[in-house]
Amino acid sequence: MWYIVYVAYYMATGTASSEVFENLRMELRRGCLVVAVLAQLRCEQYGYTLRKALADDGLAIDEGTLYPLLRRLETQGLLVSQWREEDKRNKRFYRLSAEGELILKQLLAEWESINASLNKILQEA
Amino acid sequence: MSKTSSRDSSSSGNSAELIDRYLQAVRFWLPKSHRQDDLMAELGEDLRCQIEDKETELGHPLDKAEMAAILKRCGSPMMVAGRIGPQRHLIGPALFPIYEFTVKMVLLWILVPVFVIIVGPVNLANSGGDWASAVLNTFGDLWSGLFIAAGIITLVFAMIERTNTHLGAEIKWDPLKLPPVRTGERKPSPLKAVCQFGFNAFGLAWLLLLPKYPVLILGPAAALLRATPLLHTFYLPFVLLSVVALLRPGIILARPQWTWFPLLSPLLQSALVLILLNYMIEALAKTPSAYPFVVLQDAVRDSPKYFKLAGIVNLSILVSIACVWFAVCISAIVQTRVFLRHVRKRTSAASGIASVGVR
Repeated sequence: MWYIVYVAYYMATGTASSEVFENLRMELRRGCLVVAVLAQLRCEQYGYTLRKALADDGLAIDEGTLYPLLRRLETQGLLVSQWREEDKRNKRFYRLSAEGELILKQLLAEWESINASLNKILQEA
Repeated sequence: MSKTSSRDSSSSGNSAELIDRYLQAVRFWLPKSHRQDDLMAELGEDLRCQIEDKETELGHPLDKAEMAAILKRCGSPMMVAGRIGPQRHLIGPALFPIYEFTVKMVLLWILVPVFVIIVGPVNLANSGGDWASAVLNTFGDLWSGLFIAAGIITLVFAMIERTNTHLGAEIKWDPLKLPPVRTGERKPSPLKAVCQFGFNAFGLAWLLLLPKYPVLILGPAAALLRATPLLHTFYLPFVLLSVVALLRPGIILARPQWTWFPLLSPLLQSALVLILLNYMIEALAKTPSAYPFVVLQDAVRDSPKYFKLAGIVNLSILVSIACVWFAVCISAIVQTRVFLRHVRKRTSAASGIASVGVR
C-alpha cells in the first residue's frame, strides 16, 4: 500500500516538474521564433518549405503558430508576400522587406548581447 | 488507365476531399470576420505538401488512415482555429481585477444581504408561514438575481473593454500618492478616530430620536405600527452600548499610548453586543406573540390588510438580529485572533529583549 502511495507521489511530482519544464521550454522557444523566421526568410520561401527548413535546423513549429506569425510580421511591414503558381498549385511566397532586413540586423545584435550577458551570468555562477 | 495511376488519382481525390473537410471544420470555428481565405489556402497547401512528402518517403500513395494521422498531428479543427484566429477576450487583464472586485462586492455584500433580510421575509409572509417553500423561493430568486447581476456587470465591463475607455484611467496614477506600507502595529489614526466619533454620535442621536420619531426606522409604516414591550425593554441597553461605542474613539485619541486599547475595546464591545443579543433572543423565545417586535396601532389593529405588513416588518427585524448575531460572532473571533497575535508579538519581543540583556 505504501509502495503505491510512494509511486503515485513521485509520478505526480515528476509529471508536475516535467510540465513546468515543458511550459518554460515552449516560452523560451517562442521568444526565438521571430528571429528564426526572419533569418530564414532572407531567402524567399513558402510556408511549408519555411517550416521544413526550421524543423531541419532544430526549431520545429506547427502550422497553427507559423501562419499567424507570418501574417503578423507582414502586417508589421517586415515581410512581403506574393501568391504564385508552382507545380500547378498556388503558393504564397514570403521574403524579407527592406524594413525587415533592418529589424533583423537589430534583433541579431540584441540576440548577441543577450547571449553575452547570459554567458557572463553563467560563468559568474 | 493503369491500376497505379487510377490508385494515384483516387488517393489524390481522397486527400483533397479530406483536406477540404478539415479546412471546412477549421473555418467553422473561426469568427466570421476572420474567415481568412488566404490563411485557409495556406493551411491547405501546407497539408498537401505534408501528404506529398509522406508519400515520397513511403513510396506509395497514402490511404485514408495515414492521411487522417497527418491531420490528427495537425490538431483538432477547434484547436487550430483557436491558434490561427484572433486572440479574443471579453474582459482584458487591465480591467479584470476591477471586474472581479465589483462582482464580489455586488453579489456577496449587496445582493445576498438584500435577499436574506428583505426578500426572504416577504416570501415567508406571502407563503402564509410555509418556511420550506419560502426558503426555496428565496433561494430561487437569489439564484436568478445573482445570474442577472453577474450578467449585467459582465456586459458593462465587456462594453468598457470594447470601447477602450479604461485606457485613460490606466495612465492617471501617481506613485507618490500610493498608500504607505502597512506594518503589523499601526498607530491609531486621529482622523479615523474623529470619523468614528462622528458616526457613533450620529448613530446615538438617531437612537435617541427613535421613541419620538419612529418614522426614522419604520418609514411610512410608523403610522400603522408601534414597538412592543420587548423592544422597549432592550432600548436602553442598546443606547448604553452606543454611548460606550462613542467613548471608544475618544479614549483612543486621548490615550494613544494605550496601544492595547484599539485591539481590546472592539472585542469587549462585541462581547457586550453578543450578551445583549442572547438575552434578547431568550426573551423572544419566551414571547408567545406572533409579532414580538412591532404590532399594529390600536386604530388599525383589527384591519386584516395590515397583518401582512406587521408580519413582514417583524420577520425583517428577526432576520436582521440573526444576521447581526452571526456577523458579531465572526467579528469577535477575528478580533480575538488579532488581539492574541498582538499579545504574542509583545511577549516574544519582551523575551527577546530580556535574553539580550542577560547575555
